[in-house]
Amino acid sequence: MTWLRHRAVAPVLAFVAVVGAWELSVRALGIQSFILPAPSAIWASFVGNAGVIWPYGLRTLGEALGGLVIGTILGVGAAAAVARWTTLRLGAMPFAAAVNAMPIVATAPIFNQLFGSTNPVSKMAVVGVMVFFPVMANTARGLAEVDPSELELMRAMAASPYTVLRRVRIPNALPYFFTAMKVAVPLSLIGAIIAEYFGGPQNVLGQYIVNRAQLFQFPDAWAAILVSAVLGIGLYLVVLVSERLVMPWHVSLRAAD
Amino acid sequence: MRSNYRRLLGLLAVLALVLAACGGGAEEGDGTTGPGDTTPADTGSDTAAEMEACDSPDDVRLQLQWFAQAQFAGYYAAVDQGYYDAQCLSVQILEGGVDIVPQQVLASGGAEFGIAWVPKALVSREAGADIINVAQIFERSGTLMVSWKDSGITSPEDWAGKKVGNWGFGNEYELLAAIEKYDVPDVELVAQDFTMSALLNREIDSAEAMTYNEYAQVLEAENPETGELYQPDDLDVIDFNEVGTAMLQDSLWVNSDWIAENEDVARRFLEASFEGWIYCRDNPDDCVQSVLDAGSTLGLSHQTWMMNEINALIWPATHGIGVMNEDLWNQTIEIATTQIPDLQGVEISPDVYRTDLAEAAVAALEERGLDVRGESWERVEVQLNPGGE
Repeated sequence: MTWLRHRAVAPVLAFVAVVGAWELSVRALGIQSFILPAPSAIWASFVGNAGVIWPYGLRTLGEALGGLVIGTILGVGAAAAVARWTTLRLGAMPFAAAVNAMPIVATAPIFNQLFGSTNPVSKMAVVGVMVFFPVMANTARGLAEVDPSELELMRAMAASPYTVLRRVRIPNALPYFFTAMKVAVPLSLIGAIIAEYFGGPQNVLGQYIVNRAQLFQFPDAWAAILVSAVLGIGLYLVVLVSERLVMPWHVSLRAAD
Repeated sequence: MRSNYRRLLGLLAVLALVLAACGGGAEEGDGTTGPGDTTPADTGSDTAAEMEACDSPDDVRLQLQWFAQAQFAGYYAAVDQGYYDAQCLSVQILEGGVDIVPQQVLASGGAEFGIAWVPKALVSREAGADIINVAQIFERSGTLMVSWKDSGITSPEDWAGKKVGNWGFGNEYELLAAIEKYDVPDVELVAQDFTMSALLNREIDSAEAMTYNEYAQVLEAENPETGELYQPDDLDVIDFNEVGTAMLQDSLWVNSDWIAENEDVARRFLEASFEGWIYCRDNPDDCVQSVLDAGSTLGLSHQTWMMNEINALIWPATHGIGVMNEDLWNQTIEIATTQIPDLQGVEISPDVYRTDLAEAAVAALEERGLDVRGESWERVEVQLNPGGE
């Protein structure tokens, strides 16, 4: 029975149970595919349309990554600025919060108009806006909330502000930054897919999902959602691995082992 | 160990709950598709005189595929002229929108009649919506591909390497069929919103447009170079009727289990609706007013243009308005099952449409001395104003 203790077993069991129950209930209750398609139908579409949905998925991924990079750079830059200048924090935080509150249904058409809906930058900009706030807020907190005793030690040793930043503030902010990235990565894919819905080239996941759903082809729509889920998990794993590579010393990681 | 089992048990309990919820939902869904299950919708125009012949009007809901506009003038006219009342019907017209799919509304029991294009409805049928066509209102396709003169796009081959806009959602099938038919390479398909702004700011090279709506929207926009409205001469137009991939458009669909028990209601609904369309052919200005009163987004000159173009799609009606022209049906099926990926190789049952109800309605109208074919109808000149005012 030791196999039951293995980390992979519980999720696999849960997955099999959910999918099995889903398939059985769709068949037993005769649920129409336009209400809820069976997992087998979704899988058939996932395999049969692989030549369509994966290239679409990669285009969407490109937009998500582009936006993620833009939003992260701006977010970290803004965090560094507000951590350095306290007055800036007081002035800028309301604006950052306002950016965060901008509904995507408003930003998407605006950026489509601004950059042109066929220009991928219009989608990246939407993602960038979504990603910006969690990255900025978390990183700023990590840079600011440093153990006072560490600061005192650095001061006692006459360390320059740059050294304090490099030796104390940045290492302290890294866990916060990675927490932000774990939120930002799925957001970036969601943002890209929703932005695509508002117009642009049709060879992307967002357009595909909404078009197939309108035509009752829900297994296809679900297959595309599955692609986006796989891409999202892939990106998440990249964040996890980089976290381990960048800060193998951190307590939270050692405790997890 | 123990805790592992307990966790599993918990998981199963949650699953059982979820399943119970799903099961209940599905049963309720089945219940609402039943006949006579409609909510009373009083249009408020019943008068004592009409009530004499009609003690309890039948409630009927009609789901449009777009917002109130002259594309649906015949139904609004039938309400305003009392034709539905005269048939002892209480008709509620449900406006459509971007995210409303009439076939879906029908399938879930949200309306008795729905307006849909034939190929879209066929795709929905294949996915399990048990709907049939009881009247084919438009005999011609109103879809165009519009481009600026200087783009030099005069035939489908010219789309090669170009950005070609379309609305998706199954509105693009005639375009896809034409691309397939002419084997056009490297077409970049771009989602177009339901305005012509992408063409106007030249973001796309060719845009999908209905003769009656979006084409007019271009002609209602100001050309910044001349300060005047754009003219038909500024544009090249590809008409799918000429390309040979035109498919049947606006038609009335019903659930097959509903129609099995409500043939009489349907026949009366068709007679009154057809009478509305005949009225709009002969009195287009009255019908435009009905549409404006119903709250159309665009204004008088736009709706007048649309009324004229819609009449051109209906009249002349080969077998009388609403009666399927079998040749055109066969052409639609031929194109759909060879050139639309979703329908390729699908066997379309001849039971998808029936003409008996429409024929009965047409016969009744003829008996009353109405012209159901409109062979003498002629297009009029409509002057468009900026913004369709």
